[in-house]
Amino acid sequence: MDDIEDDTTIFSTLKSFKSLISCPDRSLLETEPAYGRSDLQKLYTKRVELEEAAERVRSHTSLLQLTQEKQQMELSHKRARIELEKEAHSSSRDLQREIDRNRELLMKIRRLEEREGKANQALNEQMENNKALKRDLEELHKKANEKDSKLAEADQMISELKDETRRLSQQIQIQESKFSTQNLEIQALQEQLDVQRKKFQDISQRYQNLQSSHSTSTESELKMKELERRLALQEQDAVIVKNMKSEVTRLPELEREMKRLREENSFLRETKENSSLLKEETEGLRRKLERMERVMEEKLKVELEKEKLERELQAWENIGQATGLNIRKPEDLSREVIQIQQRELSLKQQNYTLNSSVRSVEKARAELLPEIAQLRSKAQEEQKKRENQDSLVRRLQKRVLLLTKERDGMRAILESYDSELATSEYSPQLTLRVKEAEDMLHKVQTHNTDMETQLFKAQEEAGTFKLQAQMVTAELEALKEQQTSNAEKTTLATAEEISSLRQKIEELEAERQRLEEQNNILEMRLERHNLQGDYDPVKTKVIHLQMNPTSIAKQQRSEEVEQLRVECQRLRERLRKIEASGGMTTDDTTLIIPPSQEILDLRKQMESAELKNQRLKEVFQKKIQEFRTACYVLTGYQIDITVENQYRLTSVYAEHMEDSLLFKSTGPVGSGSMQLLETDFSRTLTGLVDLHLFHQKSIPVFLSAVTIELFSRQTVT
Amino acid sequence: MSKTLKGITLKGSAELVAEFFSFGINSILYQRGIYPAETFTRVTQYDMSLHLTTDSKLKNYLTNVISQLKEWLFDCTVQKLVVVITCLETNEVLERWQFDIECDKTAKESGAPREKSIKAIQEEIRSVIRQITATVTFLPLLETACAFDLLIYTDKDLEVPEQWEESGPQLIDQSEEVRLRSFTTSIHKVNSIVAYKRTDSM
Repeated sequence: MDDIEDDTTIFSTLKSFKSLISCPDRSLLETEPAYGRSDLQKLYTKRVELEEAAERVRSHTSLLQLTQEKQQMELSHKRARIELEKEAHSSSRDLQREIDRNRELLMKIRRLEEREGKANQALNEQMENNKALKRDLEELHKKANEKDSKLAEADQMISELKDETRRLSQQIQIQESKFSTQNLEIQALQEQLDVQRKKFQDISQRYQNLQSSHSTSTESELKMKELERRLALQEQDAVIVKNMKSEVTRLPELEREMKRLREENSFLRETKENSSLLKEETEGLRRKLERMERVMEEKLKVELEKEKLERELQAWENIGQATGLNIRKPEDLSREVIQIQQRELSLKQQNYTLNSSVRSVEKARAELLPEIAQLRSKAQEEQKKRENQDSLVRRLQKRVLLLTKERDGMRAILESYDSELATSEYSPQLTLRVKEAEDMLHKVQTHNTDMETQLFKAQEEAGTFKLQAQMVTAELEALKEQQTSNAEKTTLATAEEISSLRQKIEELEAERQRLEEQNNILEMRLERHNLQGDYDPVKTKVIHLQMNPTSIAKQQRSEEVEQLRVECQRLRERLRKIEASGGMTTDDTTLIIPPSQEILDLRKQMESAELKNQRLKEVFQKKIQEFRTACYVLTGYQIDITVENQYRLTSVYAEHMEDSLLFKSTGPVGSGSMQLLETDFSRTLTGLVDLHLFHQKSIPVFLSAVTIELFSRQTVT
Repeated sequence: MSKTLKGITLKGSAELVAEFFSFGINSILYQRGIYPAETFTRVTQYDMSLHLTTDSKLKNYLTNVISQLKEWLFDCTVQKLVVVITCLETNEVLERWQFDIECDKTAKESGAPREKSIKAIQEEIRSVIRQITATVTFLPLLETACAFDLLIYTDKDLEVPEQWEESGPQLIDQSEEVRLRSFTTSIHKVNSIVAYKRTDSM
């Protein structure tokens, strides 16, 4: 049991030892890789970020020049070298540190190994103990073998652990190398990062510069545009100035043309007057000409009439010669005419008597005519009768003939029958035949008689018709004769009637045609009016709805017009008000700005200034008048300025109104140097002029001398 | 439909004629531009596409007149229907569309339907409306704003209904007339005439 307990303690100590060995190794391994691993992660992330930043920066800095870069690169190279040295130093330091750490680790491992050795020694001791103990127990041997085996296993484990430690140490070395390389890389990247940062700064600076330059460039562009615009405006102005110049050059020409046109105008006006006068004259002359022509025509006519009358007179005078009635004067002619008239009267009387005899004869004739007609009719009747008788006779004769023929025939038949009777006895048949023949005969005879009666009747009728016809013809002939006799009497009357009737007929025909045409025209008009919409007020009427679109539209229109009128009125009143308040009288009120206070003040000022002006003028006028009268009274001369720089002096004592002296101002204005000009009056004062002006050269003395002279002249005379 | 398949009665004829007038007046208003074209819609009638107004006031007015006209057609007391187009600025009559109606009064007494196919009547009406559309080519342009009025010529002794009043015939002075086609339902015969103001006189 103790062995077991001992074994258990041994095992537990082994376990703890193993754990001890493994733990530090693990911890070492863990720390170092952990340390290495976290660092690596951070580095990696940093690297990614840096790469991204670098990409960004590279995109910004694509424009940079190569030389600068190269320089910078060189600089950076130098710097890098310096830094590399620094880094090398630092890395060497780190390396030393690492080496120290390694040494420490190795030391630890050695310690651990020493511990292991110690543990081995302990183990050996234990084994010895075990061997010592083996003797005690054979069972323990086995256990010890087992333990040995276990120990062997433990040894294996230990060797493995050793291997592991070696491996781990190798790994540590590898890791350390990696770490170093990565540190180097890190340093390089850091350098690059610094370089990039500097580049970035440079580039940002340059970007700012660019922006500023951009802004300046835009400003300059704007200025340029403005200048261009101004230039364009100036060009336009130049063009306008050119046009104006051209127009101005044309101005004198236009003035010349105007003068010419004015002259032409005046000339035309003169000629117009002349032409109007001439026109009046021509009209007068034309009228005269017309009158003369008319007079000429009348003269011609009168001459023709005269000739006619002469001819007539000649004819009248020749009548006497032509008729051979010894006519020399109209009285003879009248005598002849009277004679002829008397003859005519006598002849007319004869005519009337003859006419009356003719009428009586005709009456007798007319009475005789119907008698004749009657006799004729009687004669015709007699003739008719005779003809009838003749026809009767003929018929009777024919009848007789027929009868005789019948009788002969009958006789012959009888004889034949009698002859035949002797030969044979056909008496019944014969009697029958005889009867038949007799019947036939009767029939024929009756037929004959009928026919004859018919014929007779027809003939009678024909005869009566013939009689009638003949009577009618006789009457017609009588009437015709009457008509002709009547017509002989009244030929004139019937002819007149016929002609009048014909005329009437023609007139009626014409009127009918006219009326027909009128009718057609009226029908057409009516048709047209119907088309246009006319109607007969008696039969039809026209209605429509009261509220129809036309009336509604008209209403709306009138309302619109009213509204517009009202608005117009309102606007006019407003306009009037504005004009009254403003006081502006412009023809087309384009802008009616209500007059501001300034304008009103200015207007008032203007008015006051004008008033002042007016007053000043009046005052000046008065004063000058006073001064002039004072001068006149005191000096005795009235001084007038007729022309610029010329002064006319008229003396109080002048004998005539026109006596005046003329002085002209010479030299600069206001100097007072005067010269006397020649006038009629001054020629009379030559002595004084010589004395006072030429010799004494004093105008006031001269003037006073003249006054004295005139005064003396006046008082003396 | 009061028109029997066999023939046309007086009532049916009055309806046909009133229908024709309703569409005819709408066509005239559209063609002459009295009302703006966008206030009209298209409907199918007589196998052709016709214009019909959508303006409510105008529709009201037309239905009033046409319904009254149908009564008078049935009584055979109406003689003419006239569409008068007036210029609003000068108050002158510019155009007159006159439809003369001849009514066979014996149809009133007999009451027997007459033999005439509806197809034939519609064919005739179609040709009249086509002619109305075609008149646009020779009628003078209506440049100013215009309004229209409907006048009805009736017998003198007819009782004038409440909202109606008598008016003048509103003739055009110096007019040119053109006769258009006519159509007949065998009871009513409608002749169409268009009269317009001569332009050279204006």
